[in-house]
Amino acid sequence: MKEPSKGFVVVASRNINFYTYAINLIESIKDYHPEARVCLVTEERFLDGREDIADDLIFCDNHYRAKLWGMANSPYDMTMYIDADMECEHEDIATVWDDMKDYDMVFHELTEERGRYYAVREFLYEGKTEQYRLCGGVCLYNSSNPLVMELMEDWDDLYRRQLARLWRPEGFDEQQWEKDLRIFDQTTLWWLVNKEEKYKDLKIGIFDDDIRWNYFTQYGYQGFKSKYDKPPILRHYSGCLSKDVPIV
Amino acid sequence: MSRTWLDNAFWETPKKQILNAISEEVDGNQTKRQVHKLDRLNEDGSENELFLEVVEYLGEDKIDAASKKRLEKKQAEAELEKQKKVEQERSKKLEKLFEYKLETFEIPEIKESKNRLLKSKLRRSKSIPEVNLYAILLVQEALDEGTK
Repeated sequence: MKEPSKGFVVVASRNINFYTYAINLIESIKDYHPEARVCLVTEERFLDGREDIADDLIFCDNHYRAKLWGMANSPYDMTMYIDADMECEHEDIATVWDDMKDYDMVFHELTEERGRYYAVREFLYEGKTEQYRLCGGVCLYNSSNPLVMELMEDWDDLYRRQLARLWRPEGFDEQQWEKDLRIFDQTTLWWLVNKEEKYKDLKIGIFDDDIRWNYFTQYGYQGFKSKYDKPPILRHYSGCLSKDVPIV
Repeated sequence: MSRTWLDNAFWETPKKQILNAISEEVDGNQTKRQVHKLDRLNEDGSENELFLEVVEYLGEDKIDAASKKRLEKKQAEAELEKQKKVEQERSKKLEKLFEYKLETFEIPEIKESKNRLLKSKLRRSKSIPEVNLYAILLVQEALDEGTK
């Protein structure tokens, strides 16, 4: 039987800075895991020769959340999606596939302790308080499972409609939706995995020692540590970068 | 209405000249608690009756034990806070270093370099001077190649 292909997907769209971040991320992955296969999903206008570092190249549109489209178009059987503004800093990156176990999708968890570093964690749905639990900064998924890929496509499609005010499911608080929830792709993900019947059977897990796979630099402010006291594998620079300001 | 003292009273100074204590008085259905900061001596040099009342009520050993426990707790909290500050500083330094590296990678000679080893060393650098050293090597290499 043919071994399933495994690879990383990194997406850079809309803003040239993300292309720079993505190149840095891909190079850092290869620093620690030279055999890694990486697919760069980006806009053709950004290319400057450095894209050669990627094993696979896919062009996307200029939507600021083209990451969802990129995730839905992974060329691999098993995929690890990573936000472009991250950097790999440990050779354990090569072990990421072990966390797949028998899950369909694996995420970093948005816990109460970590909640202060997220814009929104709790929201009202049908009068009850609900919480986002899955953080989309990284996502390991079985991209050979058609149902997983259908979810990825729905995530992309619904999110675009949600952002354009063409889709809003019943049950959300109208004001909160407009103020906080509409702009978040996590809202769409929450809806799909919790309310969409066809995705009820998907097995969704959390990385073992998940903090190592998406270590926001702000976690360091509180001294958050890995449960096995191991160093981060992927560090996330999300909160500290001036993404709209040219790097030089 | 009788006055009692909570057993968490502690000495404010090592020489036991100031005592911090909480009194409790029950008046019908109402319980009143009040925090006192008591000097051992009054302004005229005489002994403070209230101070003596607390020591009499709780006993000096109990106050010593509560003071020790409180001091240890405060020291542990201070240590934790210190560690938190160190971690915070380290994280902020790391963020600045990351931005600095991204800027360095945008230098044309470095951007176009295919020297993966040096670029990797630059990326793994732990300080700005280390970044600069690898940056110099990469630029030097590009200049050398240009003169060949």
